[in-house]
Amino acid sequence: MQSRPLRITAYTLCSAVGDGRAATLAALRERRSGLSANDFGPSPIATWIGRVAGLEAQPLPAEFAHWDCRNNRLAWRGLATDGFIEAAREARDRYGANRVAVVMGTSTSSIGASEEAYTRLDPDGQYPADLRRPIVHTPHSLGDFVQHALGLTGLSVTVATACSSSGKVFAQAERLIRTGLADAAIVGGVDSLCGSVLFGFNSLELVSPEPCRPFDVERRGINLGEAAGFALLEKQAPSGAWLLGYGESNDAHHMSTPHPEGLGARLALNDALKRAELRPEDIDYINLHGTASQKNDEVEAKLVADLFPATTCASSTKGWTGHTLGAAGIVEAAISLLALEQQLLPGTLNLRAPDPACGPQIQRDNVQREARHALSFSFGFGGSNCVLVFGRDR
Amino acid sequence: MTLRVAIEGVSFWASRLPGWDVARAVMRGEQAPPETPSARPSPTLLAPTERRRAPDTVAVALEVAARACEASGRKPSDLPSVFASTHGDVAISDYMCSTLATTPTLISPIKFHNSVHNAAAGYWSIGTGSLAPYTAISAYEYTFGEGLLEAATQAVCEQRPVLYVAFDIESKGALSTMARSRGLLGAAVVLAPANQSQQQRGLILTTESVAECHPTPARSAAAPLVAENALAPCLPFFEVLASSSPRTLCLALSRQMALNVQVN
Amino acid sequence: MSATQSAGERELAELIVTALNLEGVTPAEIDPEAPLFKTGLGLDSIDALELALEISKRYGFQLRSDDENNVRIFSSLRSLAAHIESNRVTA
Repeated sequence: MQSRPLRITAYTLCSAVGDGRAATLAALRERRSGLSANDFGPSPIATWIGRVAGLEAQPLPAEFAHWDCRNNRLAWRGLATDGFIEAAREARDRYGANRVAVVMGTSTSSIGASEEAYTRLDPDGQYPADLRRPIVHTPHSLGDFVQHALGLTGLSVTVATACSSSGKVFAQAERLIRTGLADAAIVGGVDSLCGSVLFGFNSLELVSPEPCRPFDVERRGINLGEAAGFALLEKQAPSGAWLLGYGESNDAHHMSTPHPEGLGARLALNDALKRAELRPEDIDYINLHGTASQKNDEVEAKLVADLFPATTCASSTKGWTGHTLGAAGIVEAAISLLALEQQLLPGTLNLRAPDPACGPQIQRDNVQREARHALSFSFGFGGSNCVLVFGRDR
Repeated sequence: MTLRVAIEGVSFWASRLPGWDVARAVMRGEQAPPETPSARPSPTLLAPTERRRAPDTVAVALEVAARACEASGRKPSDLPSVFASTHGDVAISDYMCSTLATTPTLISPIKFHNSVHNAAAGYWSIGTGSLAPYTAISAYEYTFGEGLLEAATQAVCEQRPVLYVAFDIESKGALSTMARSRGLLGAAVVLAPANQSQQQRGLILTTESVAECHPTPARSAAAPLVAENALAPCLPFFEVLASSSPRTLCLALSRQMALNVQVN
Repeated sequence: MSATQSAGERELAELIVTALNLEGVTPAEIDPEAPLFKTGLGLDSIDALELALEISKRYGFQLRSDDENNVRIFSSLRSLAAHIESNRVTA
């Protein structure tokens, strides 16, 4: 059974650069980063983050109080942007509430709520009353909330494969639609700032004390960010961009270091191009994983230089949003879709002197030019790789 | 729509049902479960560096993954895989939350790098050298059914065999009151597209409403031994596999939807 | 031929075995002059980070990952124990 292109009939994102497609596009055009000095938590480590402002003062609507926590507040904020909830409800009414699947990506889901509970345990070592809601203390917190918020009743799954999570959701949804288990799917992902990721990545010495510099020869590591993003995929529709293909693989190398030759990444890329029936020369823009870690960027730059012509533009947009982990796939998919819509290919912020491994493809500056096909790369912790292929509305 | 897959290998592990042979015999009422619980399995397919870092999730997941592959006769490196766990490494979550509440700068790098939900999948791929894609999912109380459906979907869509591994471990600390789970439990099957397998044993999967397909309760002598583990909803499926006669069971997929599984 | 461990070296050997959950070797068996990384005990960069953490918790000082002397400091049990002895803050 060959995989089939799907229409993307709605999409949105909410990150440190702002809420929604127009705000994101403006930030990309104006080269305005959303990164700020880390002020998250009681004793913030010295780094820069992509923080979404205002979540602390935005509890979920009363009917969803059961799911209230930072991660689900960020999810709600994303759903409420660009008319996405309306588009989802319209799809629900058209296909049936049990025929629209929910496939959500995240890395830590709402572990921030568990972290908070542990700082306020009662004298018996029990959770404080306001946090005694089991659904927020488990990975599926996100998928369960989104399904409820959209009034859907069918399949709902949370995918947690670290940084590839909300790229892989596109592939999973395509298979569900292809087999007839669903007629449409809400895909996406949400990850929020929390102690686990800030102090965890810090313990691995992967975090930069300055704004991140993807592909720069003097890069010093990642900046963490939070974000939410969603897309509505349908088998058929009169308009919308296309998911043309995808590829998945893994590195089988090391939990926290990529394969030195990018072996898994190359396999995922080949699979994606094959499904989309495209060649490297057909690709106008690649949104790279480009985390600004030493190893990722070195391996990724070489892969691009080896496999793509100079006419392919490539960049990392993590200098705008930070590394949003389980939301990186959907955020960067959305940015790729914006690029195709607007014929504006974002460059790479904070890139002064490119690493010698970079070929001519990696762009510092934004490029305004005709573009028909884009790829988005997500290469995760634990070696999980995902490449997505998008095409313009035709 | 209907998915047809063959079952090529089955495995199971709980501390008083350490292996599919024992578990099947207990489920069939042919023997009593061992009195003494077994210690967690040792992931021998991992190199020493990974093996010494492996937490309980990895130990139990890799054990059942390896045994299911052996039973199927398929090479692990040929198989894409689906790893499913309700709560993931809930013991490490307790560690992270406790340490963050007291001394956040003293987070163990090894424990953090084991805390990702895809840790077991990652260790499996490293241990077997498999470049085939894996996924790691959760769907709360519907985890086992959703994972089985995902594995079958991949097998049919990609026309290749797939390994499905499900596990949950014992929760610790304050989190154990919210993410309830006792003991270690792991189970795995290798599924192949029906037209590619010589195996007689197969599954026919369809989705139905919960009203038409009430989730099947567990009934065997194995049930009390795993009832308090978060993955206990998997047991009715394995009870049916343990019996040699064709049977149908229902696994919950959501509050309104269920998976009808005909086992022949 | 393995040299004898001093008391400080034995204590560090115990910390290493416990912190890294080393199997198949007891603290007493670690040759104080054998390599810790790559060959010898075969530890890797994640182990180095974990050890740095445990050492900071036990002995009260931070091992810096950008210290240019790290290759020498970490080259053997003996050199690491000596470095701890000169820098420890706790008794």
